[in-house]
Amino acid sequence: MPARFHDGREARAHPAEVAVDDRAVHIAADGCEHNWPLKAISIDRHGGEVRLSWKGDRDARLILPEAEWIALAGAADGAVGRRDRRREIALIGALAAAGAAVAGFVFFGMPVLSGPLARATPTGYEAQMGENFDAQLAVAFPSCGGEAGQRILSDLGDQIGGYADTSFTIRVRAVQAPMINAFALPGGPILITDDLIRDLESPDELAAVVAHEVAHIEQRHVMQAVWRLLGMGMVLDAVVGGGSGAGQQAVLLAGQVTDLNYSRAAEAEADARGMELLHARGMSSQGMASFFARLEEGGGGRGEGARPAAEFLSTHPDGGRRVRAARAMERPGSAALDDGQWAQVKAACETGDQPRVRLPGLPRGGRETSGQD
Amino acid sequence: MFDRSPEGEGEALRFDHTLEPKTFLGLSLKLGLLNLVTLTLYRFWSKTEVRHRIWRAVRLNGDAFEYTGRGVELFIGFLLALLVLGLPFLLLIFAVQFLGPAWGLLYLPLYIFLFWLWGFGLFTAFRYMASRTTWRGIRFRLKGSAKSYGLAFLGYNLLSGMTFGWFWPVAERRLAQMIWQDLKFGDRPLRFSMVQAEKVGVYGQYAVGWFGTIVVYIVTMTAVLAGMFALGIAGMENPSSTDLLILQFAPLVILAAMSPLFALVWAPYKAAMMRSIAAGVGFDEARFRLKVRALPVWWLTVTNIFFVLVTFGFLMPFVQARTARFLILRLTSEGTADLAAARQAVAGPRSGEGLADAFGFSAI
Repeated sequence: MPARFHDGREARAHPAEVAVDDRAVHIAADGCEHNWPLKAISIDRHGGEVRLSWKGDRDARLILPEAEWIALAGAADGAVGRRDRRREIALIGALAAAGAAVAGFVFFGMPVLSGPLARATPTGYEAQMGENFDAQLAVAFPSCGGEAGQRILSDLGDQIGGYADTSFTIRVRAVQAPMINAFALPGGPILITDDLIRDLESPDELAAVVAHEVAHIEQRHVMQAVWRLLGMGMVLDAVVGGGSGAGQQAVLLAGQVTDLNYSRAAEAEADARGMELLHARGMSSQGMASFFARLEEGGGGRGEGARPAAEFLSTHPDGGRRVRAARAMERPGSAALDDGQWAQVKAACETGDQPRVRLPGLPRGGRETSGQD
Repeated sequence: MFDRSPEGEGEALRFDHTLEPKTFLGLSLKLGLLNLVTLTLYRFWSKTEVRHRIWRAVRLNGDAFEYTGRGVELFIGFLLALLVLGLPFLLLIFAVQFLGPAWGLLYLPLYIFLFWLWGFGLFTAFRYMASRTTWRGIRFRLKGSAKSYGLAFLGYNLLSGMTFGWFWPVAERRLAQMIWQDLKFGDRPLRFSMVQAEKVGVYGQYAVGWFGTIVVYIVTMTAVLAGMFALGIAGMENPSSTDLLILQFAPLVILAAMSPLFALVWAPYKAAMMRSIAAGVGFDEARFRLKVRALPVWWLTVTNIFFVLVTFGFLMPFVQARTARFLILRLTSEGTADLAAARQAVAGPRSGEGLADAFGFSAI
C-alpha cells in the first residue's frame, strides 16, 4: 500500500512520495511539497501502518506502511520513540509529585491547620452552625418529654461547663434516638440519647459522659472536624473527582481512614479533659472507666486479636485502652446527682407518649459512630 | 484507497475495525497503576490514551478514525470547572451552615441550576469529543447551543419525574436529536430524522423495564425476607456479631444479585433505543442501522459490570474496548454520502469535559 497524504483541508487521500533525511520528512503530494522537521513530528503505529503528523500543520496526516517508514527513517524512528518515552516519564513524574503534594496537604497539612482554623472561627458563627445542626437533628431525634429530668441534665451541663474554658453556653438535653450515644454539636448543644440513659448505671457515669462532651465543645473538636473534612473533601474531590474507578476509591478510603485517626485523638483528649473538669467540680470521675468497661463487654464480644483492627476502624480509641487510661486518672468525689434526681433523669424518656424505635441489627451495648460523640 | 471520485458523487459507508479487546488488558493494568501513583491525576491522560486506541481501530471505508484530544486539555477543563463551579458551590454549602436556616432555601435554585448545568456539561463534552475526532484529517463539529440543551435536559428530567418515568423514552430521543442534528463532518451536516427514529418502537420495551423492575424488586425482597427468617435473623433482639456481619453485607450481596435481573428487564429498551437513535441519523443519502438485540446487550452489560467489579475498576479500558467492538460490529449503513466533499471545520474548544467530569459523565 503506497503512502497517502491527507492535507487537513478536504476529506481526500492524495498519493504521496516520501523521503527522509537526517532533519526532515519530505512529502510530495498533489503537486505540493511538505517538509516536516523530524524533531517536531509525532508517530502513531497501528495495524501495520504509521500515521505521521507535525506541529506546524496539525490537521495534515501522512499514512504509510510501517515497514516502509522504518526503512526510510532508520535511526530517526528510534529517536522519535525515545523522545516520546522521555516525555511520558516526565509527565508521570510531575503528576506523581503533584499527587504527593496534594496527599501531604490532605493527610497532614489540613489536620494540622484544622486546630488554628477552628480557634480562629468566630464563636458566633460556630454557635449558629450548632443551632442549624441542632434544628436538623431535632427532626430525626425529638427531645424526651420528661421536663424534670431534662432540667436536671441541663443543670449538670451548667455545673460541669462552668469549669470549662469556653464562652459557649452548654445546653444538655435527652433525645429519642435508636442508638447508645451522645453528641456534642458546635457551639454548646449536647444530645444524650434515650438508649444511652437507659444503659447508664450511676450518676457518675452520666457525669462522665456529659464531661466528655463538654470537653469536645471546649476544645472545639467539632469545628476542627468540620474544617478538616471540608479541606479533605474539597481537595480530594477536586483531585480525585467523582469517579468510581479503583484509584478514586483507594484514595477516598485513605482519606476516611486518616480522618478516623484524628477523630480517635480527639476522643482520647476529650476523655482526659472531661476527667479534669469533673475533678475541678469536685465530682467523682470513677464513672468513666466503669462506663467504658461495660461498653467494652457489650461491644459484640471482640477477641483480643481483633481489637487493634477494631480500634483502627473505629472513631473511638480501643475500649480496653480507654478503660485503663480512665482508671489511671480517676478520683473519688461527690456524686453528680442524688437518688431523686437520678430517678428523674432515668425517667426523662420514659413518659410513654413517644414511640420507641429500634433499628434492626443495632445491639444494645454497641456504639454508633456519628459526629463528635 | 485514494479517493478519486469527483465531488458530488457519493460513496457507500462501510464500517470495520481492528479492535482486539484483549490487547487492552495490559493497558488497563498500566493505566490503573499510573492512576494510583499519581493520586488519580493521570486519569485525564488515561482517558485520552484509551480513546486514542479505540478511535484508531475503527475504520470507515478503509480509513481509520483518529482521536486528537490531549490529556492536558481534559486536565485544564477539569481545573476550570473546579474553579468556576466546584469551589464556589462547596463554599456556599459551607457558608450556609454558618448562617440562619432561611439561607438553606438557596439550595433549591442551586440544585435546579445544577441540573441545567449537568445538561450543559454533557453537550459541551460531546462538542469537545466531536472536535477531537477526525477522519481523513477532517474534524467533526458539534454546533448548537449547550444552554438550550441544558434547559431541555432539565425540563425533560422534570417531566420524566412527574410521569413516573414514562416521558423518558421521548426525552431520550429528543436529546439525541439535539446532538445529531447539529453534528457536522467538516462543513457537511449530519441530520436526524425523528420520523425514522420513531419507526423503531421503544415503549413496549420500556414497559417491560418499568414493570419488570417492580417484579424484580418484589421477588428479591420476598426472597430476602424468606432468607432472613430461614436464618433466624429477622426480629432478633440481640443479634450476634456474625448476624450483624450478614446484615451489613447483605445489601451489597442483594444488589450484586439483583443487577443482572435489572439489566435483563431493561436490556430490550436499551437495545431498542440504540436502534431507534441509529435509525434517525443520516448523512447525505446514507442512513444507519445498529443491529443490536436485547440478549446480547444484556450479556455485554452483565459481563462488563462483572469485569469492573471484580477488578475494582482496573479493567475499565478493556470494558470500553469490548463495548466499542460490540457496537461497531453491528453498525451498518445504506445509501451513499459524498464524504470527499467535506472541507475542514473550524477548530473546537481548547479544553474539554470539565463539567461533564464533575458530574461523573464520560461516554468513554
